[in-house]
Amino acid sequence: MTEFNRRQVLMAAAAATAAASLPKFALAQSREETLRFVHGSVWTALTAGDLTGSRASLALSCNVYDRLVRFGRKEAPGGGFEFDFDVIEPELCESFSISDDGLVLTFTLDPAAKWHDGSPVTAEDVKWSLDRAVSAETMSKSQLASGSITSPDQIAVVDETTVTVTLPQADRLALPNLAMYLAPMINSTLAKANATEADPWAIEWLRTNAAASGAYTVERMSPDGAQVVLARNEAWTGGPLPGFARVIVQGVPEASTRATLLQKGDADLCLDFSPTDLEVLEAADGVKVIQTPQPSGFAALVFNTQMAPFDDPKLRKAISMALPYEQIFETAANGQGLKLYDGTWEGEPETGVFPQPMPYTVDIEAAKAMVEEAGHAGLTVPLYYTVGKAGDFDPAAALIQEALAKIGITVEIQKTPDAQYAEIVTAKTAPMLLERSLALLPSPDYFFRIFLNGDSRWNFSSWANPEVAEILPVARYEADAAEYEKMTKKLVSLAFEETPMVMLWKPTTKAAMAEGVTGYTMWYHFGPDFRTLDRA
Amino acid sequence: MSAAGSRGALSALKGVGGRLLSALPALFGVLALTFILMRVLPGDPASFFVSSPTAGEAELEIVRQRMGLDHPLPMQFLYYLRDLATGDFGTAMTTGRPVVDDLVERLPASLELTLAGLFLAVAIAVPAGVLAALRPGSVFDHGVRVICSAGVSLPTFVSGLLLIYIFYYWLGWAPDPTGRLDIFAFPPETVTGFLLIDCLLAGDWDTWWSSLSRLVLPACTMALFTIAPLARITRGSMLAVLTSEFVRTADAVGLPRWKVIVTYALRNALIPVVTVSGSIFSTMLGANVLVEKVFSWPGVGRYALDALMASDYAPVQGFVLLMATIFVFVNLVVDLLYAVIDPRVSLS
Repeated sequence: MTEFNRRQVLMAAAAATAAASLPKFALAQSREETLRFVHGSVWTALTAGDLTGSRASLALSCNVYDRLVRFGRKEAPGGGFEFDFDVIEPELCESFSISDDGLVLTFTLDPAAKWHDGSPVTAEDVKWSLDRAVSAETMSKSQLASGSITSPDQIAVVDETTVTVTLPQADRLALPNLAMYLAPMINSTLAKANATEADPWAIEWLRTNAAASGAYTVERMSPDGAQVVLARNEAWTGGPLPGFARVIVQGVPEASTRATLLQKGDADLCLDFSPTDLEVLEAADGVKVIQTPQPSGFAALVFNTQMAPFDDPKLRKAISMALPYEQIFETAANGQGLKLYDGTWEGEPETGVFPQPMPYTVDIEAAKAMVEEAGHAGLTVPLYYTVGKAGDFDPAAALIQEALAKIGITVEIQKTPDAQYAEIVTAKTAPMLLERSLALLPSPDYFFRIFLNGDSRWNFSSWANPEVAEILPVARYEADAAEYEKMTKKLVSLAFEETPMVMLWKPTTKAAMAEGVTGYTMWYHFGPDFRTLDRA
Repeated sequence: MSAAGSRGALSALKGVGGRLLSALPALFGVLALTFILMRVLPGDPASFFVSSPTAGEAELEIVRQRMGLDHPLPMQFLYYLRDLATGDFGTAMTTGRPVVDDLVERLPASLELTLAGLFLAVAIAVPAGVLAALRPGSVFDHGVRVICSAGVSLPTFVSGLLLIYIFYYWLGWAPDPTGRLDIFAFPPETVTGFLLIDCLLAGDWDTWWSSLSRLVLPACTMALFTIAPLARITRGSMLAVLTSEFVRTADAVGLPRWKVIVTYALRNALIPVVTVSGSIFSTMLGANVLVEKVFSWPGVGRYALDALMASDYAPVQGFVLLMATIFVFVNLVVDLLYAVIDPRVSLS
């Protein structure tokens, strides 16, 4: 007969309680080999480019689909890695080459490459995928067009393992675009079998089904996209096999719940936690936070240059001389990221990189005099920003309001719900915005093309400078690096002189993960790429 | 006897049918109002959904067409009515799925949570209210009052986060607050959509336990908020009944105290409680958005809120119509319950 003492009985009771609260589900892989990623969104479209897909879907699809090529990566200042825009390496293809005149891109396929269903990847599949990208009504069309790939005629099958893409002119963005999520390689046989007459590119079917070759297969997906389970594709040829055998992608709408899950060790990776949880997570045991500055990101005070009163460059300049930059950086950005206001150059910048620190000089008295001289004293102006970015912009707006009061300008703060804000920005009816955004590709001419030229909603300032408009089409196709640098330097100095927006800071991407997770990389999409991750 | 019985049933049925018919104009009003409100509210859904940096007017136009926004407003409404008549509630841009599918899938999650919360609240509030009424001014009465005030003044997301912090993070008793089921649990075949029932039907006890353990915290959060009105109403109504003449008579003729309280007093005191429960149920179902958000609960409230933030018209309209319909039914059930509790009340 066994005698129990009090301690044993208590322990047995505790064990029984614990066992009862943990149902015994068949776990194919242990917790060690599973990565649990939590985010505030849902994964609604498996194939990138779907016009109705959630934003989160784009980056997530990279784990399931391959592209012909990918960006390299390098070590980042904050620990971890960041993508390297200047290095492009093969992913689905075995090798690629660019003709000397830059007009023909040739891709040679890996004969060992297989789709998830086991059938080989053919040149026909590649052509169909690129044809779809430039023809179907998806987001891919306009993205590839930004690299001069616009028509199926440009894409040719040479033989069973070779595909060429021919460009009308050398375009520095053609290849980077093919490395991005909007150029996924699709199993054309499978997709065509599920296409309909009304939907020849199988957009509907590919929303909830993957016809891919990537590092992970979709094991399970809830209809609302809140829970997706990925399993490692052991036959993947696109790169070294990922460290995690299984990945759980879970939508957890409440930011503080996501932080709690991480602290508790139930989640391994989270990229969208609230700024207030940042300190808690940094201090928590078993959790680490990696901050990486976004190469082409910016937060700025934007003026509508086509509308009174900010069609007056003098007024824009005056405001740039009156802002409390350091305070804004410390409170709104928590002192994280890079300053974009403490440049020291005069006349022309040292490099053509953009965004880069601008040489604003703060002089309240001079600013006040300029406002009065230009006849704007006593001006009242609304300042719009979106609720979704209020974490950063609430403090920034308050500081700007206070600072501009000193030079005789009254600011009315208009914090606006997201959809309403999107409408205002598209209609370009707001005189002044606080905005934070980023260009996918860290190429200065690309940045100017999207944010500082043209009539798209992304030209927040509606800036229409004839010199910029003249330089951009030339710079885009300029193959000579020195010539290109000269042009971009000119662009940067124009943006400083005319001040369509006052650059404030370059935001960081913040990633919180379990202590043992290694290999975190900040990619151009700032979303999760599970393929390089492992557990130490 | 049997003839009289069937006549009674027939008139009850007529009463129910009449009530449902008279609800139709109200439903139509709700429908039209929501339709107009959604379109009057500022925010352009197309520019919200097309958020790719390279997207232009062409992509916007495609999305507008897909949402049917390229027609004039009156035509849009007529098309909407025509679609509704065929059971088509439109397609949600946020999920890319038909609204009906989304609602059918999510409604049971909300119903399960609301019913569990309401059951807990009633189970606690009615006895507490009765006991407080029996000893008005006592320590117990004040205790109930304090707890009720605390429960009603704590916003649900605060009490939800608090419960998560204590029972999940600190004590480790509760499972992680990420929805209705453990990610590794295989959901049972959907019959009713109520996980607790479906698991029982499938005989899957592990999954049943998993879903029950995940239901406890959110249900408690909802209950905390609704105990207050229920307990206060029970107490007040009970106090009124206890001082009435028939109770005094029952006491005077020497009936046992418990019989006087339960059979005579409580039954009469329950009518306002049932009324309040009905309206609380409807409110809980629509207003538990915050609880659903905190616990990642895949319910209709969260769905509608996300859609509203994105100016996604179809899901919001579908949600409001669903809620209005449920409201009509709940009121009907409450009226039927009156008749059960008090035979003097009839539907007509």
